[in-house]
Amino acid sequence: MLAMLLRRLFLGLVTVWIVSMIIFAGVEMLPGDSCTAFLEREAKGKLLENCREAQGLNRPAAERYFDWATSAARGDLGISANGEKSIAELVGDRLGNSLLLAACSLALGVPLAIFLGVVTGLWRDRPVDLAVSTLAIFAMTIPEFVSATVLILVFSVWLGWLPGIVLTSASAPASEFFPEIILPVLVLTMVMTAHILRMVRSSVIEVMAGDYIQMATLKGVPYWRIVFWHALPNALLPAINVVALTIAWLLGGVVVIEVVFNYPGLGRMMIDAISDRDLPVVQAIALIVATVYVCVNLSADILTMFANPRLRTLHMRRG
Amino acid sequence: MKKLITMVSAIALSAGMAAAEPSGTFRQAHELGFGAQSSLDPISKGRVFQITEKIMSRLVRPGLDGKPQADLATSWEANEDATVWTFKLREGVMFHDGSTFEAEDVVYSLNRVLDPESDSPARSAVKMITEVKALDGMTVQITLDTPFADMPLQLMDYRLRMLNEGSGDTIAMTGNGTGPFKVEKFDAEGTTTLVANPDYWEGAPGVARMEIIGIADGQARLQALLGGQIDMERGITAQQQVMLKGSDKFNVQVIPTGNWRGLVFRTDVEPFSDIRVRQAVRMAADREELVALVLGGEGVVACDTPVEPNDQYRAALSCPQDIEKAKALLVEAGYPDGIDIDVYVATLEPTWPTLAVAYQEQAAAAGIRVNVVQAPTDGYWSEVWMKKDVAATRWNERPADQALHEIYLSTAKWNESYYKDEKLDAMLGDARRELDFNKRKAIYVAAQEHLLETAGTLIPYTVTKLIGVSSRVSNLDEVKNDAVRWHMITVE
Repeated sequence: MLAMLLRRLFLGLVTVWIVSMIIFAGVEMLPGDSCTAFLEREAKGKLLENCREAQGLNRPAAERYFDWATSAARGDLGISANGEKSIAELVGDRLGNSLLLAACSLALGVPLAIFLGVVTGLWRDRPVDLAVSTLAIFAMTIPEFVSATVLILVFSVWLGWLPGIVLTSASAPASEFFPEIILPVLVLTMVMTAHILRMVRSSVIEVMAGDYIQMATLKGVPYWRIVFWHALPNALLPAINVVALTIAWLLGGVVVIEVVFNYPGLGRMMIDAISDRDLPVVQAIALIVATVYVCVNLSADILTMFANPRLRTLHMRRG
Repeated sequence: MKKLITMVSAIALSAGMAAAEPSGTFRQAHELGFGAQSSLDPISKGRVFQITEKIMSRLVRPGLDGKPQADLATSWEANEDATVWTFKLREGVMFHDGSTFEAEDVVYSLNRVLDPESDSPARSAVKMITEVKALDGMTVQITLDTPFADMPLQLMDYRLRMLNEGSGDTIAMTGNGTGPFKVEKFDAEGTTTLVANPDYWEGAPGVARMEIIGIADGQARLQALLGGQIDMERGITAQQQVMLKGSDKFNVQVIPTGNWRGLVFRTDVEPFSDIRVRQAVRMAADREELVALVLGGEGVVACDTPVEPNDQYRAALSCPQDIEKAKALLVEAGYPDGIDIDVYVATLEPTWPTLAVAYQEQAAAAGIRVNVVQAPTDGYWSEVWMKKDVAATRWNERPADQALHEIYLSTAKWNESYYKDEKLDAMLGDARRELDFNKRKAIYVAAQEHLLETAGTLIPYTVTKLIGVSSRVSNLDEVKNDAVRWHMITVE
């Protein structure tokens, strides 16, 4: 078990390192650099030289990657393009905001999705299932920017109940994001709930049709006891992985949502940094997102293993 | 005399009464064009002009009529051949940090722009200055390398703000100026807060606070305006204005500008090196229709002149579409079967693709077969513009002389069409030297007529700016950004 964990951790580190190289090469290959992106048509002569000099862009790419990688390994991610703040601090603020958005959406979305999933699974093909499943398909298929715009139109422009756009600055404490955060959370919850709900529903249906449930029913175990003691623990296992992927998706920056709502999270920062060719920031974010994916997947696997004795023994026997 | 004094004091009194304590907050967005490189340094490429225009002043500013008006300079005069200019400065003006505005500050600010080492983009506006000298504490003398009768026009450039002597290294973050508002907190990617400067020389501003908020997405800015989170948005499109027009919560200001978009045909490559082909490709455009199709009618037809419609030097030209003549010119130039051209555009400017496709349809009738090529937005200015034979371009307004010099002079850095014409070079030189306004105007008009004859740049229109304003805002001058008197506005 421990050996497996260590091996997975090591592989995770290698993954993050490879991702950082791919991202660096990718941004390098895009036409232009941060100076031509900044200066646009004025990118000529002395002005361009000064800018490249100031940002150390006149050195070869391999050397710049090596410098970045060695300082990153020491935990130093560099300073922002205007030289005012450390990138770690800038990215840290945005990461915190993305975490806040993710936490709110998960707190609202996951219980709701599991509840609705169980209800629709147990009352399969009844009116309540049909209604909820249809709504879920709508929520999944309508693009986020459309549902976001509709919500803004209704709640902010027509009714005037909620602010439409987030104007709080990136470094503000979490409490200041209310009530601006409500609309983005609602949109994310809609999409997320629909995905998890459908997973839980099919899993509940599958489990309820299982032999052991039939056996229990024949033995005369009360229905609700069967549901809560025998069916749900098994039915919710697959949901763990879906939830884990959802968490990674949320933390990786929900770019569209963040742009539409002007939310100062990782996703918007990533987009801006790529268009500005701000390599150190792009690298820092890629590093964080890759780490999040690795960690979340790893913990999901471990959780599943604890919840499912069969998988546990399987691994033990193998080594 | 006594009567005059009473009158003056009465006016002063009523002005004093009208100017109540600054109150309320005015909020506006900026498009965050420069991300982490955003700056309060007015001559840096990353300047956030929505902030610098409110915290810093120029020597000369455009009045509501667009003509030069006294700002930090109270009066100016030139020597006989307009090579040496003397500016009298305003007494008693203070920077936000409490230091006094003096001649040395002007010398410092202008020399900073002119420094070839820093090579500021603003330098091209005042390149003709060879020396800036303080004659005494409140008088500055500017010497030029050429006679230039319209020097004050150049000093109106939105970047030429006066800084405190020696503040160049810190200005990017402090924004210490002499304008109606002071920087409380600068956060380009979040919200920048400005507070009223009670010591502003024109009197205390109407609003107590201004918030300038970075919102990169155009749609999000409109949503913020509609939802009442910002009070003004200066980039509404013709389609979007429908949403504002029906509501009594908003007003829309319609302001013609000199900003133009167009297509550049490089005059140094085949087939456009033939002047007849250049005439043909421009003649094939129906400009009225382009304004309607591309801008939803919110533009003014231009006849390949970069001079803005309201400029005193704008030539009254006419340039109707003429398919037959275009065909004839192509035949004459040796292209009886017409020509095939690739036109490069990018979504960098959202109207370019529409412009190119509309032009494609129009030009087809004259045997000009246009293939529209979508280039990536990234690297457009370095890889496509001035490299491909035909590419879309855009320019913001400039004074007539500067626009002509920067884009069409043989030696210009941004001569995007590689246009070399001795006659035009000579005319532009003559115009600067000509001290009589009417004669000068005649030369500028002739230069624009010459361009319509010979240029390689299709300038079909100048765009009209639509500004959405919340109805809680009053006294916002209905003029271009550059001339708005920000201290005048009030909010409910």
